[in-house]
Amino acid sequence: MSAVYGQLSEAVLGGNLKDIKKLTQMALDGGFSAQQVLDLGLLPGMDEVGKLFKTGAMFIPEVLLSAKTMAAAMDVLKPLLVKGEGGGRGTVVIGTVQGDLHNIGKNLVAMMLEGAGFTVVDLGIDVKPQAFLDAVKQHKPKLLGMSALLTTTMPRMGETIRALEEAGVRSQVRVMVGGAPVTEGFVAKIHADAYAANAGTAVDVAKALVGG
Amino acid sequence: MNSGFRSQVVPSYRLLTEDQIREIHLASLDILETVGVRVNHDEAVQMLQAAGCRVKPGNIVQIPGWLVDVCIRSAPSRITIYNRRGEEAMRLEGRKIYYGLGTDLIKTRDVRTGELRASTLEDVKNAARVVDYCSDIDFVASFALPNEAQTNMMYIECFRAEVENTVKPIFFTAAGREDLATMIEIAEAVIGGEDALREKPFIINYSEPTPPLVHSFGAVSKLLLCADKGIPICYTPADVMGASAPVSLAGAIVQANAEALSGIVIHQVRHKGSPIISGFFATPMDMLSSVFVYGGPEFRLTHSAYADLYHYYGIPCWGTAGVTDSHAIDQQTAFEAALTILMAALDGTNLIHDIGYMGAGLIGSPASIVMSNEIIGWVKRLIRGFEITPELMGLDVIRSVGPGGDYLAEEHTLKYYKSELWRPRISNRDDPDTWSQKGGKTFGERLAEDTLAILESHVPEPLPNDVASKVDAIVHRAEGAFKEMYFIA
Repeated sequence: MSAVYGQLSEAVLGGNLKDIKKLTQMALDGGFSAQQVLDLGLLPGMDEVGKLFKTGAMFIPEVLLSAKTMAAAMDVLKPLLVKGEGGGRGTVVIGTVQGDLHNIGKNLVAMMLEGAGFTVVDLGIDVKPQAFLDAVKQHKPKLLGMSALLTTTMPRMGETIRALEEAGVRSQVRVMVGGAPVTEGFVAKIHADAYAANAGTAVDVAKALVGG
Repeated sequence: MNSGFRSQVVPSYRLLTEDQIREIHLASLDILETVGVRVNHDEAVQMLQAAGCRVKPGNIVQIPGWLVDVCIRSAPSRITIYNRRGEEAMRLEGRKIYYGLGTDLIKTRDVRTGELRASTLEDVKNAARVVDYCSDIDFVASFALPNEAQTNMMYIECFRAEVENTVKPIFFTAAGREDLATMIEIAEAVIGGEDALREKPFIINYSEPTPPLVHSFGAVSKLLLCADKGIPICYTPADVMGASAPVSLAGAIVQANAEALSGIVIHQVRHKGSPIISGFFATPMDMLSSVFVYGGPEFRLTHSAYADLYHYYGIPCWGTAGVTDSHAIDQQTAFEAALTILMAALDGTNLIHDIGYMGAGLIGSPASIVMSNEIIGWVKRLIRGFEITPELMGLDVIRSVGPGGDYLAEEHTLKYYKSELWRPRISNRDDPDTWSQKGGKTFGERLAEDTLAILESHVPEPLPNDVASKVDAIVHRAEGAFKEMYFIA
């Protein structure tokens, strides 16, 4: 185990946004591969962040600083990583459903997922079923995440899943949903794969869904 | 005899000085002038532009301070709300306080089984019947969300359930302009027509902008419809500190106030003098769970702050109290409900909603309503204070009883004990032995029994037959019309 890995993990854990790009470049210059830097340096740091967050030793603003730090390192690594997989845990397409303008919860989940090593394609708010479908076809993500805060817009999640089914791409992607009014029962009703009650569990659920 | 003196003692509290109020007001005006708000409603944008606002690409409307001040002045400083029978029920003005329910709780803590389950239309009816019974709760709202109902009919079904199960005023949400129009039609049928409803409104619509600084198409549509029809509307943003608003209390207050004021501008530019209730909701996101905190102390500070602001503006303001982040009827629920109900009363907010809310806005129970009723009774007694008059200072009776006597059988005691003393319905005041003999039940156990007894025995006054059939016809027509419709939120 090289000291370089520990240094990278520490930088992610401590949210050292100022130095992370320099540290990442130094590791690459020192002969470590991009994949090694990611798997043995950065991701273990983020995993530690996840653990500390769960025990209440880290709070959301600090977790997001670590996620930002991770994303900055990824800017350096991405061009060097094997194409297709985004280098990390895979791609997630995420958005708030049609008619719903609430983006805060979705943004939080997107940042957390990015921090955990996923490549996130954020479609924004008020996303029509067709736009979700197009993005699934284009980006071929492992995961599709949908958010709704309004009870009146929740049905759009089911409509989006039906659009995926009709286009024959439902089996290619796992679907997770969230938002304050979303429940376990609703997930079954609309044939989604999983539900996360908050941004912290969203990361665990996402990892479990993609088998990582 | 000490004659000619009469004084009312009233507990009072305020948070902001006049200087602080002005500083916050100016900061909100600055935001509205330099940042502006996004108004996703082209007709409203054109209307605001014609009224003197600057319009930037992306439906950004920058509102000049003078226009905000004009609209604050044209908004009514008092609104009388009636009940279903057309009798005066609430005078939303000054520091008068009224308590009632909130809307849309997706889960219900079942009072019979104790189980946590999805809410149904039956829960809306139960809440309305309990409110109808509870003497210290002043208005009703859907409380529960009928998960089993068709999306486009949810709020109409709720509205009907409320109008059928209580005579008290109704605070209600709508999915869009279309179902709002249907609910107004139902209200008109109940009170005797459009003019009658304008004269004696017994309903208050509740719509919200979307922080930070956005007015959605649906919200603006509802705001405009209510302005046109003279239906009182409560148009209040729910800002989440650290997520949709600055984490600092002062920052959240400035932004939320800008959102609320911009709602008043849209409303008053559309129809000067139409009744609007304002204020806001600014509470932190819990930085571990990401839950929007309902029962915390910061929320009470932002609540007190806007109460002072809207008293200064002279616009009736809503409030939020009787709320908790706990998921069961437990100790946390009791203390958070009690503290928030007390603080809202001291704040003097007029239309205090969300009574009985648990689970940070996700869970309801008829028992939490009944518990709040008990707390509200306590608080209303406190806020009433007491009067100082020669008769009530009781020099005559003190003289007549004299040193070593007693007041038990005095006429003064008999005459005043009912008006001076509040008596709880459920709280224990038995001595320990009597309490044990009665089964040694906790407050929670007695509360559940009391709630069940209300649900089993209370029969609300029914709607007159001809009105009930009119309401049925309107609902039936809406079912057909809204079946395939898509409301824009």
